[in-house]
Amino acid sequence: MPTMSQLSDQELLANQVRLPQHVVHRSFVAETVVLNLRTGKYHGLNPTAGKMLEALAVAPTVRASVPELAREYGVEPAKVESDLIVLCQGLLQRGLIEIVDADPA
Amino acid sequence: MPIQPEAPAGRARERATIGVAFGLLLDVGAGIDIAGIVDTPGGHDLEAASPEPPVSPLSAEPTRVRLDPLELERRWASAAHAAERVRELRDGDTVLLTVELAPHAGYLLHAPGFGRILIAPDGCELVCAPEPDNSQWTALLPAQALPLAATLRGFEVLHASGVVLGGRAALFTGPPGAGKSSLAAALLRRGAAELLSDDTVALQLRGDGALVAYPGAALLQLRAAEHERLSTRERALLGPPTTFLDKQRYSQSVAASPAPFGELFLLERSAHGPPIERIEAVDPFALLASTFNLSVRMPERLTRHLDLAVALAASGRIHRLRVRPGTDATQLAEIVHERLLEL
Repeated sequence: MPTMSQLSDQELLANQVRLPQHVVHRSFVAETVVLNLRTGKYHGLNPTAGKMLEALAVAPTVRASVPELAREYGVEPAKVESDLIVLCQGLLQRGLIEIVDADPA
Repeated sequence: MPIQPEAPAGRARERATIGVAFGLLLDVGAGIDIAGIVDTPGGHDLEAASPEPPVSPLSAEPTRVRLDPLELERRWASAAHAAERVRELRDGDTVLLTVELAPHAGYLLHAPGFGRILIAPDGCELVCAPEPDNSQWTALLPAQALPLAATLRGFEVLHASGVVLGGRAALFTGPPGAGKSSLAAALLRRGAAELLSDDTVALQLRGDGALVAYPGAALLQLRAAEHERLSTRERALLGPPTTFLDKQRYSQSVAASPAPFGELFLLERSAHGPPIERIEAVDPFALLASTFNLSVRMPERLTRHLDLAVALAASGRIHRLRVRPGTDATQLAEIVHERLLEL
């Protein structure tokens, strides 16, 4: 499974990400809490990042989640894309998402 | 699991928000360990009194409490090699409490000067080895051991006092000294409420999503200053007290059965803003940090803890209760009582 340090931004956008089994998240009115069950640490996402996480969880690639988010927030896809990269990097660093290995062989 | 760092008293909580608002990257801290937020030196630990009898209030099946130092030694001797320290509470260089976990023996609480208590992994049995010279070692039971046992049995315990009014539970949480017990006592003196629990309230999130609050020990404790403030008539309404540690303890009857969750009030000292204000967007970390016991870190418990916070937040029944300078518990109870009657 590739790690963040092995991926360029473009490669990250082309990959699918998911929450590991040891990570759960719950939405509150103004915040999404992401809990790493292995470390017992809680992380907060603002509402935008929470919505991004939800989109990432079901999208076949990171890039595939961009159009819907751009429409929902009325911003340029390029802006969404760059913010998604930053978010994914932050989540990957903390072990809160992982890259899905499309070709395990 | 390493010993969690203790947060210095009064230190601002470090947020660890990861987020982007289209170009604005928010703080990306290392993540919050709730254990590091709640344990403040000189905090609530070891303050509460003992329930009599020491029985878990949480189900028909009592938590068995044995006074048996030899049995504790026997069990721990065979398990200690696999134990790990899961919590340590200090006041400066002074260790107030340690909690060690050995998978087959359970959780060993050790409060120097008070004693040791071994809690079975399922939370159904406590084996106690008190310090021989401390007749008040039983403070460990409601302050630490029973909340931990309750957590192991599937409940979440809030650092809160609560009453039942109009058939629903009204809970008051806040930092030590905020006035949780004083407010509960003042509501009792008004004669319109029953005591649910003082200092710790066990909550259960049921399968249907209902939140239920459970009655605790039949005791209520006030700090000396609050006791001194009461008139003779007000003291008489609470009954004769006994001195326990640094508090005055009153025997009280408690609600006979669990009550559906009604309202949660977060007490804060503030001179500004309305006395009571419903919180539209509650801080989830404030809810998580109000949970009493932090030693149980199994995935199912951590998930349950989070789900309970979600349920509380989703209830829409969380309020900020501002305690203004010069407002005493009697006046505060009047404000709260009127609001509860409106809700």
